[in-house]
Amino acid sequence: MSFREKTAWVSLLAMGGIYGAYFWSVMAAGHAALDGGRLLGTIVALVAVEIVFLTVIALFAPKDARAPRDERDRLIELRATRVAYAGLATAVVFACFFAAFKPPIVFGTNSLLFILVVCEMMRMAVQIVQYRRQA
Amino acid sequence: MDGITNDIRRLRFEHSEMTQQQLAEAVGVTRQTINAIELGKYAPSLETAFRIAAVFDKPLESVFHYARSSGS
Repeated sequence: MSFREKTAWVSLLAMGGIYGAYFWSVMAAGHAALDGGRLLGTIVALVAVEIVFLTVIALFAPKDARAPRDERDRLIELRATRVAYAGLATAVVFACFFAAFKPPIVFGTNSLLFILVVCEMMRMAVQIVQYRRQA
Repeated sequence: MDGITNDIRRLRFEHSEMTQQQLAEAVGVTRQTINAIELGKYAPSLETAFRIAAVFDKPLESVFHYARSSGS
């Protein structure tokens, strides 16, 4: 497994776990509005977890970690970004549609953040699938 | 079915049993990319294909082959 694929796995799992906990707590608290402190803590935790895991992976495979992205890595990233962009565009269209309605459909900042997180996770997942197919 | 095949594995063997890592470093890609090319799961760019051929000191068509099925 290449360093780039491991990076994608770390990002996917870290985002799933940490943002999952954030959205779970937001839903449990019944907040539709963005809680700045809680979100900042989530971002700090995400960055910390990714740094720790990627450092450990790099320590075990320093040569792979130092190697720059090659053409296959860039192509996989582009394909993943294209898929995630399609997902993001679709979600934004739906968001605009739902935002036109008044409650009971509440579409707040957290909903937009949720869309962004899901699309970013989709980008990581597509990268992993592409790497697995070519392994 | 149309597709690009290659003789990289054989050429590596004939060049002092060159490893995928050594070829990858000579070409400027990752070992995983060389592995994917060898297995026919990734078609390299023209530039990378020329670089691989240059490492083996062979013309491009001696390393890569375009297989076209009959009737296509």
